[in-house]
Amino acid sequence: MLFWLILFLPLFGAVLNGLVLRRASKTVSHVVGSAALVGAFICALLTYLDFMRSGGHAQVIPGMEWIEAGSFKAPFNYILDRLSGMMLLIITGIGSLIHIYAGGYMHEEKNTYRFFAYLNLFVFMMLQLVMGDNLLVMFIGWEGVGLCSYLLIGYWYESDDNAAAGMKAFLVNRIGDIGFLLGIFLTFQTFHTVSFSQLKELILTAGASLNGEQIHAIGWITLALFVGACGKSAQLPLYVWLPDAMAGPTPVSALIHAATMVTAGVYMMTRVNFLFYLAPTTQMIVASVGAATALFAATIALVQYDIKKVLAYSTVSQLGYMVLGCGLGAYTAGVFHLFTHACFKALLFLGAGSVITAMHHKQDMREMGGLRKYMPVTHLVMLIGVLAIIGFPGFSGFFSKDEILWKAWTAGDRFHILWGMGTIAAVCTAFYMVRLLMLTFYGPNRSDHHTREHLHETSVVMWGPLVVLALLSFGGGYLNVPHVIPFPEHGLFEEYLAPVLAIPAQAAEHWEHLHAEHEAGEEWAVMAVSVLGMLLASFSAILLYGRGFSPLSTALATRFQGIHRTLSNKYYVDEFYASAVVLPLKDMSYFLWKIVDVAIIDGIVNGVSQACMLVSGLTSFRMSGSLHRHGMVMLVGILCMLTVLLF
Amino acid sequence: MDFLNHHVLSLLTFVPLLTAFAVLLSPSLGLARWVSMLGSLLTFLLSIHVWYYFDGQTSGLQFTEIHNWIPTFGIKYIMGVDGLNLLLVVLTAFLTPLILLSVWHLDGSKQKAFLALFMSLECGMLGSLVAFDLVFFYIFWEAMLIPMYFLIGIWGGKNRIYATSKFIIYTFAGSLLMLAAMIVLYILHFEQTGIYTTSLLDLYGAPPAYPTQMWLFAAFAIAFAIKVPVFPFHTWLPDAHTEAPTAGSVILAGVMLKLGTYGLVRFAIPLFPEAVVSYAPLIVGLGVIGIVYGALNAWMQTDAKRMVAYSSVSHLGFVVIGSFALIGGGAALSPEALTGAIYQQINHGISTGALFFLVGVIYERRHTRLLADFGGLAKVMPWFGVMLIVATLSSVGLPGTGGFVGEFLILLGTFMASPLAGSVASLGVLLGAIYMLTLCRKILFGPITHEENKNLSDLTPREFAYLTPLAILAIVMGVFPNLFLDKIRPSIENLANNYKSYKIVAEAPALNEAGDKRAEASR
Repeated sequence: MLFWLILFLPLFGAVLNGLVLRRASKTVSHVVGSAALVGAFICALLTYLDFMRSGGHAQVIPGMEWIEAGSFKAPFNYILDRLSGMMLLIITGIGSLIHIYAGGYMHEEKNTYRFFAYLNLFVFMMLQLVMGDNLLVMFIGWEGVGLCSYLLIGYWYESDDNAAAGMKAFLVNRIGDIGFLLGIFLTFQTFHTVSFSQLKELILTAGASLNGEQIHAIGWITLALFVGACGKSAQLPLYVWLPDAMAGPTPVSALIHAATMVTAGVYMMTRVNFLFYLAPTTQMIVASVGAATALFAATIALVQYDIKKVLAYSTVSQLGYMVLGCGLGAYTAGVFHLFTHACFKALLFLGAGSVITAMHHKQDMREMGGLRKYMPVTHLVMLIGVLAIIGFPGFSGFFSKDEILWKAWTAGDRFHILWGMGTIAAVCTAFYMVRLLMLTFYGPNRSDHHTREHLHETSVVMWGPLVVLALLSFGGGYLNVPHVIPFPEHGLFEEYLAPVLAIPAQAAEHWEHLHAEHEAGEEWAVMAVSVLGMLLASFSAILLYGRGFSPLSTALATRFQGIHRTLSNKYYVDEFYASAVVLPLKDMSYFLWKIVDVAIIDGIVNGVSQACMLVSGLTSFRMSGSLHRHGMVMLVGILCMLTVLLF
Repeated sequence: MDFLNHHVLSLLTFVPLLTAFAVLLSPSLGLARWVSMLGSLLTFLLSIHVWYYFDGQTSGLQFTEIHNWIPTFGIKYIMGVDGLNLLLVVLTAFLTPLILLSVWHLDGSKQKAFLALFMSLECGMLGSLVAFDLVFFYIFWEAMLIPMYFLIGIWGGKNRIYATSKFIIYTFAGSLLMLAAMIVLYILHFEQTGIYTTSLLDLYGAPPAYPTQMWLFAAFAIAFAIKVPVFPFHTWLPDAHTEAPTAGSVILAGVMLKLGTYGLVRFAIPLFPEAVVSYAPLIVGLGVIGIVYGALNAWMQTDAKRMVAYSSVSHLGFVVIGSFALIGGGAALSPEALTGAIYQQINHGISTGALFFLVGVIYERRHTRLLADFGGLAKVMPWFGVMLIVATLSSVGLPGTGGFVGEFLILLGTFMASPLAGSVASLGVLLGAIYMLTLCRKILFGPITHEENKNLSDLTPREFAYLTPLAILAIVMGVFPNLFLDKIRPSIENLANNYKSYKIVAEAPALNEAGDKRAEASR
C-alpha cells in the first residue's frame, strides 16, 4: 500500500497542479508540489526500512497487466531490491529538498503551477524507470523523464533558444532510445522475456548452458542498451544535449540534469549487470567511452565562464566516471559514485542557483567575485560541495572517485590508460571547480553597482535544503571506505549492493581480478597520485584566480590561444554535428520533397492522367451531345458483347 | 434484444443513411444539425452495443447477418464483425459525432447538404467495414468516394477541384483493378468448385493456383495501397488533405485511409496467401521507405496541414509493415506485429484526427496554416497547447500513449521477422519526433511574432468537447491496451497462425452464448 503511495503521490501532485490548480497562487503550487514529494519520501523511507528489516531480499510487486500480444507480455510489475530501494530514497529525498528550494528560486515568476506539475510528473516517471521490473516499464520512465526534461528545459518557452534546447535534448535522447528499443527487441527474441527478475534467474540458472548464439546476442543486446545509456547519461558522442539543457530553471538542472535522470543509464546497466558481465567486448567499449567522456568534458569545463556551463560539463565528466566504473565491472563503485554525485552535484547546482538569484539571473562568473561576504552560508556549503567533488580526503567524492580509479588500475595492464585518463580528468576537475569557487566567492567583486547593492543571502527555504545536502556530501562517503583505511566499518556499501550483482558462472574467470587481493602499498600509492594531482591543481587555480583573474591567467590564455579557443568552443562538436549531420539531412529531405516527390513521383501521376486525356481526346467522338450517336454506339457495343458471349 | 442482436450491423450501417435523408428533409439547418447529431449518436450507441456484447474468446464472425440476394450468382448480403474490424467500426462511429460537433457553428446555404453527405459517408465506411461479400464490399467502397468527392470539391480550399479530381480518379483507378480481380476470382472459384459465390466465408481457404494468385494479389494490393497510401502511391494524399475542410481531413485520416490497410488484412492476405510470401519483402520494403520518406517530407513542410498529411504516410508505413511481418519462413504472420498493426490503425485515427482538428482550430482563428504565421501560442492559448502536446506525444509514440503500444508491437514483430527492416523502421521513432516537435515549437513556443496572434482566444467549450475525448482516449489506449486487445486477440491469432489456410466461422448472434451470459450477469 505504502509502495503505491510512493509511486502515485507525485502523479497526483502533477495532476492537481497541472489540471486543477491552474489559477492557484504560487504558494499553493509550491506547497502541493513539495507535499507530494515529502509524502512520497516518508512512504519510501518506511517502505525501505521495512524492506531492509526483512533482510533486503529482492521482491517483485505485481501490478496491472499492460501489453500482451502474441507471446509478448509486459505487465506493470515493480521490483524492490537494494538497488531500486536506494534509488527510491535518492529520488524522493533529494527530490523533496529540491522541490522545497524551488519555491524560493521561482518566487519571481507570475505562477508556478506548470513548473511544479512538470517536476512532480518527472519524479513519477523517474520512479517508473527505477522501479519497473521489465525493460518496457523502465522504458516508460526512460522516455517519460525525457518528456519532462523537454518540457522543463523549455519552461521559459518564450525564448526561442530555450525551446530549441528542449527539442535538442528530446531528439538526441531519442537516438539513444532507438538503441534501447533494439535492445528490448533482441532481448525478447533471445530470451522470450523482458522481465529483469526472470532474465536474471534465466541467466544464472542456465549457467554454462548458454549457447554461442545467445552469448553473441548478449553482445549485441548490451551494446544496444549502452547506446541508450549514452543518450540518457550524456556520454560521447551523444552528450551534446546536456550543456544546452542548462537553459531550464536551476532546480531542474539540479534534480534532472545532475542528480537523477542523467544517472538512468548507469542505473540501467547495473540493473542488467549479469548481461553486461557476459559481454566483455561491450564492457571494454563502455569503460573506454566512460573514461574518454570524463576527460573530454573536464577539459571543456576548464575555460567556461558561465557558472552553470561549468557544472554541466562537470556533470558529463562525472557521469563518465560512473560509466567507467560500470565498464570495469565495478558496478558498486559506479553506483556509489552515482549516490555521492547526486548529493554534491545537487548541492553545487542549488548553490549556483542561489548565486544566480542573488545576481539577478546573471550566470557569467566574470561579473561575480567576492560573494563570500554577502552570502556566507551559500559560500560555506559550496565549499563543502567543491571539496566533495574534487575528492578532497575525507569528503564523499574522495571515497567514490578513488574507488573507480583504483578499479581501473587493477583491471589489468591495458586498462592503465583508462586509469591515466581518469586521473587527469580528476586533476582537471580540481582545477575548474576551485576556479569556479574562487571566481564566484573570492577576490574583488566585479559586478555592476546596481547588482552589488542588492546582493544578499537567500531565504531559509533556499539555504535550508543546501545545508542538508552539504551534510550528505561530506558524510556520504563513509558508507564505503576503502579496505586500506583503518576505519571501524569499511566496504559497507559493497556488502550492501552485493546481492544485486551477479557474475554468471561462465564469465567468472574473466572477472576474477575484481576480487583479487592487492598490496596496501599499491592502493596507497594510487591514492597518493590522485590526491597530489588534486592538490597541485587546486593550488594553481587559487594562484590564478584567488584574487580575480590574475595577469598570469590572462597571459596563459593568450599564450595558448589555440587550445584556449578550441576548449572555449567545446571542440566545435556542435558545429560539426550541425554541418555533418543536420544540414545534410535537411538538404536530403528538401531534395526528397521538391525533386523526388513533387517533380518525379507526382509528375508521373499527373503525366499519366494527361496522357490518358490526350489519348481519349484523340479516340473519342467529339462532344456532340447527339443522342443518336450515343445510342448507336451503345447498340454496337451490345451487339459486340452478345457476339462474344454467344460464340 | 433479439431483434437488435440479429440486425445490429444493418442498423449500424443504414441509420446514418436514413439520417442523411432526414437531414435533407429537415426544414431548417438548426433541426438538421440535431438530426444528424442524434443519428450519429444512435450509431455510436449501436457500435457500443456491438463492442460490449462482442465475445473476445472466439475468432468467429459475430453478429452475422446472412441473406441471399441474387442466388443465381451466389451474391449474398453478409455482414459481420470480428477482431479485425471491431475497433475500426467503433472508431468510425466515435469520430462522426465529434466531427459533427466541430462543424456545429458553420452555416451557409449548403451546410445541410454537408451534413447529409457526411452521414452518407459514414454509411459507406461502416458498410465496407462490415461487409463480407465482395459485391457488397465493392458497392460500399465505391459509394464512400462520392460524398468525399463533394466534401472536398465544394467545401475545400483554393485548389479543391484539382485535389478532389486527383483523389477520386486515383482511388477509382485502383478500385477498377480490384473489381477486375474480383471477377476473375469469382470465375476461378467457380471453375475450381462449381459454385458461384462472392462470399468471403466461402472464398477464404480456397485460393486460386499460384501464378494467378500473384496477379490477383497485385490488383487487390494496388487498390488498397493507393487508399492507404503506400509509397509511391501517396501523392494524392497531401493535396486532398490540404484542400479538404477540417471535417473531411479528420475522417479521411481517421477512417478512410484505414480501409486500405484493413483491406490488405481482410482481403489481400487471406485470399492469396502464397502470393503474400512472394510479395512481402517488396511490401515491407515500400512500407519502410514510406516511414522514412514520409517523415523527411513532413519535416520540410511549411503548411501545418501538409505536414500532418505527410506524417500519415509515415505512420501508415508502420501499419503496412506490421501486417506483412512473416515469421518462420513464411509459415505465419507475426502475431505481435499484426496486433500492433490493428491497434496502430486506431491510434492513428485518434492522434491524427486530433491533430487535424487542432490545425482546424487555429485555421479558423487566423485563416492561415503556415507555420511561419504562428509562434508563442502557448501563452495566449494554453489549453490548445496542452491538447497539441498530448496529440503530438501520441503521434510520436511516447510510452503511456496508444501510439507507443502500436508502434512498439509492430517494430518488435518486424524486427523478429527481419532485423534489417525492423532496425530501419525504428528510425521512424526519431524522425517522427523531429517533425512533430518542429511543428509544436513553431506553433506554440518562441516569442509571439505576429500582432494578430496576441489576442487569440483559447479553446471554446465546444472545441473542448470534441478534443477532450480524443486526448483521454490517447492516454487510455496507452495505459490500458488490454481493454481493447482482449477483444481482438483470438481473431488476430487465427489470421496470424493460419493465414495460409484461413477460415472464419460465422456465428449466428443467437449462438453468441458468452455475450448472452454476460448480458444475464449484468442484469
